[in-house]
Amino acid sequence: MTTTTPRAARPALTTRARVGASHGSPALLALVALIAIFTIAVVNQPGILSVTGLTLMLMSAVPLVLAAQAQMIMMSVGDIDLGVGYLIGLVTVIAATALNDNPILGIGLLLGIVVVYAILGLLVQKRGVPSIIVTLGMSFVWLGLGLQLLPTPGGAAPEWLSDIGRWRPETFPAPLIFIVLATLLGWFIARRSRAGARMRALGSSAATLDKAGVSLSRTRVMAYMIAAVLMIVAGLMLAAQTRSGDINSASNLTLMTIAAVILGGGNFSGGRALPIGTTLGAVTLGLITVLLSLMNLSSSLQSAAQGFIVLAVLAGRIITERFTR
Amino acid sequence: MNTVLNDTTRRATFTWPAWGWSLLGVLAVWLCIVAVRPGAPFDPLVQALSLAPFLVLVALGQMLVITLGPGNIDVSVGTVISMSSYVSVAVGATSGPVLGLAAAVLAGLAAGACSVVAILVLRVPPIIATLATSLIVTSATLLLADANRAGADAGLRSFVNAKLLGIPVIALVVVAVTIVVALTLSRTRFGLSVLAVGQSTRAAERAGIKVKSITASSYLICAAFAGLAGGLLAAFISPSTVLGTSYMLDSIAVVVIGGTLISGGRAVPTGAWTGALFFVLLSGLLNLVGWSVGAQNILKGVLVVAVVVVSATATGTGRRSLARLRESLIPLKATNKETIHG
Repeated sequence: MTTTTPRAARPALTTRARVGASHGSPALLALVALIAIFTIAVVNQPGILSVTGLTLMLMSAVPLVLAAQAQMIMMSVGDIDLGVGYLIGLVTVIAATALNDNPILGIGLLLGIVVVYAILGLLVQKRGVPSIIVTLGMSFVWLGLGLQLLPTPGGAAPEWLSDIGRWRPETFPAPLIFIVLATLLGWFIARRSRAGARMRALGSSAATLDKAGVSLSRTRVMAYMIAAVLMIVAGLMLAAQTRSGDINSASNLTLMTIAAVILGGGNFSGGRALPIGTTLGAVTLGLITVLLSLMNLSSSLQSAAQGFIVLAVLAGRIITERFTR
Repeated sequence: MNTVLNDTTRRATFTWPAWGWSLLGVLAVWLCIVAVRPGAPFDPLVQALSLAPFLVLVALGQMLVITLGPGNIDVSVGTVISMSSYVSVAVGATSGPVLGLAAAVLAGLAAGACSVVAILVLRVPPIIATLATSLIVTSATLLLADANRAGADAGLRSFVNAKLLGIPVIALVVVAVTIVVALTLSRTRFGLSVLAVGQSTRAAERAGIKVKSITASSYLICAAFAGLAGGLLAAFISPSTVLGTSYMLDSIAVVVIGGTLISGGRAVPTGAWTGALFFVLLSGLLNLVGWSVGAQNILKGVLVVAVVVVSATATGTGRRSLARLRESLIPLKATNKETIHG
């Protein structure tokens, strides 16, 4: 934290600042985009500059930020999770059915998801199968389970969960607190903890990590389990807001989370985890979705708008990278 | 087929074909169906032969893309099918079924072009590029669905339902397409280039293969096949916004089950047929014994994961393919860096 630490291993402040800037600069794009989107939104609807307005604007970003932190951890070990959307949908279904009727069964099911993710991590590491295909296959398992539990949207989230969603302090927007907490959590896991350092090492140079005597399997399993827990929290937050369960409620989150990580300065090759950038990216994408509905864009065009924005963001990323290097 | 590529393993007098396991699966599921519903044992097979060709068409395109190597996958085929089903019907209503089908193929090509631009120009990883394309295509589908209430052309309808000696004509047509694809892969410069790119992109580049144009052509062919399948499905079933949804995972599953390597470099066109028949028969069996849609989805997902895991062990290429997947996902800059160090 300070440069006066006696340990020689700690690099000088200037070096660390430079490394931090060069690692963090990709996230600047997200910050610029966020400010731009927010300005457009304020010009269109001056009403959002109140506590209620900000609460409504940022509400949908809360599950997205949490899910994006999970995706960031998956991508830091070099994997991509394509099951995010349906898994979060399944968590809302579990929250609206089992967790309400029989809390022990509900918690058991949620723990089961973490166990499945641990097994997936082990499979990907031991068998070398591409995470993309495995998680794509699993996304259909989540969809199937969700349809079995609750064929049509409905159910009711437990009272304590709805209370979290209903919590509206007068002085500040509640979603902002959740977003900051999620970012701090992601920052602690990925940047501060030993496990986070190992995960990033696994993504950037697995051979070195192996030579350092760290179990690659254990590291990957840890990353998958942490990601699963974060996605479950994201699903619970979504259920807290909608107060019901719907397997399809989050299906567009898969692409959104990947785009958020990339917009926040992450990359597809692994080894990089930028929690603050990821949050900025996720909030930007969340605001764009709200903005599209504010602008009265017809519902059929909204998915195309999202697709174009994701492509534009990724293109912008490539342009900024050319300039910074 | 590609004896040149791995002749050391092919010197044995008999080698188990890559599509052998899926053929066993077809026979096993067929026997189960016959056991559940005795009498007329060939009926389920003929029924499967009329449904499977559409899946085979999509799977052949998907196979070309997957063969390009790790990271290459087209997840937009499902939405492209839905969109082109509307295009086929709308154009077919005014200009006849042939032009309708051509328009469906063109619609597929347009979607493919969108993916190709994103992959090659914007350097977006294929999975994200095709996901973004599928979002754009979804909007196009919804707009077309609002605008059009026409039904499929009667002539096209009778063509896709026609039978020759008890075998659906459409199956024979798709068999011909499969043979063309197989010959293209084993005999032509383009086909061998696709396999070479899948085996090692860098080596293929050094050998003078234009990797970019091979990649672009493969994605375009895949999208065109999906468009054609959608145009035909519009007449076989009817246009709908969710017509192609199941084809996304199914096509990937069929390719993998058929013996094509998920890590690329080995394409098995015959496997598209055995894989598709297995899938169609399996879902017929599950409907017969009364499984719900949810349970069928669970089984499909588990099956895909299981086959990928088992085939990765069987071929022993898993670990290498993971390394190459990483490599493929890093933009060109990083690969250049690697060559400087090495």
